[in-house]
Amino acid sequence: MEKAKISAFQLFVMIALFEFGSAILIPLAIGAKQDAWLSIVMGMVGGFLLFFIYYRLYLYYPDMLPTGYVQKIIGRIPGKMLAFLYMIYFIYLASRDLRDFGAMLVTSTYPDSPLFVVNALLMLLVIYTLRFGIEVLARTGELLFFLFLLITVSALVLISSSGLIDFRQLQPVLENGFYAVFKTVYMETLYVPFGEAIVFTMIFPYLNERKKLKRVYISAMTLSGLSLAFAMIINVSVLGVDLTSRSQFPILSTIQMIELAEFLERLDVYFLLVLIIGIFFKLSLYFYVAASGIADLFQVKEPSQLIYPMGIIILLSSISIAGSYAEHIEEGLKLATIYVQLPVQVVIPAVLLIIAFFKNKKTKALPA
Amino acid sequence: MKSFFKRRKTAVRAKQSSGSEDLIPSSLSANLDTIRQKTGYSPDIIIRTLSIGHYKAAVVYTDGLIDSVPIQESLLEPLLKHEALPKPLPPDEALPIIARQSIALGSIQFTKKYEEAILAVVGGDAVLFMDGTSTAVITDVKGGERRSIQEASTQVSVRGPKEGFTESMATNIALIRRMIHNPNVWVETMKVGKQTKTDVAVMYINGLVSEEVLGEVRRRLKKINMDGVLESGYVEQLIEDETFTPFPTIINTERPDIVTANLLEGRVAIIVNGTPFVLLAPAVFVQFFQSAEDYYSRFDIATAIRMLRVLVFLISLIGPAVYIAATTFHQEMIPTGLLIIVAAQRDNVPFPAFVEALIMEITFEILREAGVRMPKAIGSTVSIVGALVIGQAAVQAGIVSPAMVIIVSITAITSFATPSYSIAMSARLLRFLFMGAAASFGFYGVALIFMAMIVHLCSLRSFGVPYMSPLAPFIAKNVGDTFIRLPLLFSKNRPRLFGHSNPTRSERGQEYDHSVPKGMVNKKTVEGETNET
Repeated sequence: MEKAKISAFQLFVMIALFEFGSAILIPLAIGAKQDAWLSIVMGMVGGFLLFFIYYRLYLYYPDMLPTGYVQKIIGRIPGKMLAFLYMIYFIYLASRDLRDFGAMLVTSTYPDSPLFVVNALLMLLVIYTLRFGIEVLARTGELLFFLFLLITVSALVLISSSGLIDFRQLQPVLENGFYAVFKTVYMETLYVPFGEAIVFTMIFPYLNERKKLKRVYISAMTLSGLSLAFAMIINVSVLGVDLTSRSQFPILSTIQMIELAEFLERLDVYFLLVLIIGIFFKLSLYFYVAASGIADLFQVKEPSQLIYPMGIIILLSSISIAGSYAEHIEEGLKLATIYVQLPVQVVIPAVLLIIAFFKNKKTKALPA
Repeated sequence: MKSFFKRRKTAVRAKQSSGSEDLIPSSLSANLDTIRQKTGYSPDIIIRTLSIGHYKAAVVYTDGLIDSVPIQESLLEPLLKHEALPKPLPPDEALPIIARQSIALGSIQFTKKYEEAILAVVGGDAVLFMDGTSTAVITDVKGGERRSIQEASTQVSVRGPKEGFTESMATNIALIRRMIHNPNVWVETMKVGKQTKTDVAVMYINGLVSEEVLGEVRRRLKKINMDGVLESGYVEQLIEDETFTPFPTIINTERPDIVTANLLEGRVAIIVNGTPFVLLAPAVFVQFFQSAEDYYSRFDIATAIRMLRVLVFLISLIGPAVYIAATTFHQEMIPTGLLIIVAAQRDNVPFPAFVEALIMEITFEILREAGVRMPKAIGSTVSIVGALVIGQAAVQAGIVSPAMVIIVSITAITSFATPSYSIAMSARLLRFLFMGAAASFGFYGVALIFMAMIVHLCSLRSFGVPYMSPLAPFIAKNVGDTFIRLPLLFSKNRPRLFGHSNPTRSERGQEYDHSVPKGMVNKKTVEGETNET
């Protein structure tokens, strides 16, 4: 574990930026059609439930990284193996995000640039950042958060003042019944992006004000969840269900619609900055957590030594992870959710919590 | 390699020998001979022999470093007029009595060490030696020709005190003391530089300063082991946290009011003799966008101006880069009407936008550098040539487009609109990095470099204080004085990270009492009781 402390506000910012990250890019929960926003809100509530699993585990072992307490819960060797699987999972998610972003850039703005170069440049930035450790990442997050707010609020003002929003597109609510919404929740939004916050279990031990953790986490989740839902409302009400679901990057399509005073148009490049901030942050967190976890598992004294080789691994796997963007999205939103995200984010932590509960009951019963 | 080690060893030995300091020889003639010899018979070392009563003595000083009036009227004259002591005493005992009775100067000091005496002579003091004793009297008669107190040339303000620091450390300390009448303003001095022995003073307000920062400043100053420290820039570079950064992590200022304000915030001032630039540490990024005047003008105006400065900094940083990116990669961003104009202009230009921008920026940098170094008499030539070269000829020759000229002029002006010269210099350098990124990857490149810059800024520290505080880490109580400035009534707190020993600046209750009716409603005014008649 790195010798570092982060403040409650820094954790708040990190969670908020992380949740925005790639989720704002992709057509999230569009399976629920115009009720996508509802699905996002429900996913958020599900995310709260997941948080309590992680939170209880954290309360049992507040000074340890999950890579450490897993070994306490299920034994040293199985614990190490499980923890290692988690690190691979984080590397996988990091590669996915890098691919999301690279594909977005190549499709929208740089059709002639190779994906590898686009990805490699972002990776360089992330490597540069992570050499400084979590504290600098947290501070960077604070600054970028203000920039993020500034740009998103200005985007909102521009969209609403260009008269694009038509809330009738959101009607009828629950057209296909409640089940259709619920299905996207447990198939999609619960895991992406809310369950993905399992990555923060590796950050919790750095928090300096432990009592605030619950409040910070819930408020950050609520902020980002509602904003994502709101972004989806805007997307659907500007583009309509049909266009939104067919668009690869609905938020970019929405922003491209802005045309104000015959002067402000095609602002997608301007909003590129928001997307870069979001992805940069999400990627850095996954990467940092994977690196610090592996350093913890294999007793590497300097986690920063791992940054360069792991950066190359993430970069290469972001290219080789899928043959095409369609395959990539299919894999991420259909297959990975059920076969990877569900067990990793929900089932295993729940089982661990149950074991930890009984273990700690025994030990606590003795002295108390 | 071998010689390197050898040299180090001898250096150590030399240090040891100077440790056992020689005493002043008690024979005056031997003493004066050594002085002459040690100073290489330099004619500006003045040795004035005199007799005080029946004692033989000499006053030694350096010509030009002393003030000749006090040396004549307060030192030589009373000594020469000194009446013989009632009973003859050995010189050892006589000297203190004579000094006490006859030297009409504020500061005198006794020493037996030869080294100290000779350093005092070359440092601008006058030293009195007497035959038969190894004690010498050091008298402070520092003076000589110096620049008088003038308006600060680098940080001009419309409102506020006009005095700027001078090259004399004593004057500078006095200028600060004139603004804070407080015995808690403490000054520590030390000599830095093996050859130059430059006086360096550390100034702070006891009780407000953070002990950790102060200790760190002391420790880093003591570690300096250089031949000479000629300007505070030397000290700045030797004690800063991070050498490999384009951003300054220590503030320098020429204005006493800025130093005073910073001392009140709990910072430490480092004053180096021989330069009007005083250092302040720890520094944070936002400070470089603040000027003293912000605090003297109304808060809303000050806030607006600070915002403007941030904008100016950004333009100066990424102005040309945005032009390059937009014309090279993102033409669709430019509104059609404008695009046609720009495209028509660029039609005849033989270079890509990046080369065009580079030519113009470098031309401007050359002109700027020439303007600084050029004798004043031909200064106007530069502006005429510059205006012709940049403005007219380049466009008419079709080498650059008029739009590019506008961009370069704007960035040129913005780099002068930042209150701090040192941060403007950072932007000036980084601009070229941004231009390169824009030329190769458009806005994506600009955004990446921008983010890398933010990461870099967040990783910096100044004497342990994060450089981007109070924004990152976010400290809500201190945000009132960053890129915005809240009314003075609201700024009740010292910066938390280094002003924590006494965090409260002002108490409640100084606000105007709004419950009292004002203006025409005030009965007293209506009834004419408070009329000026």
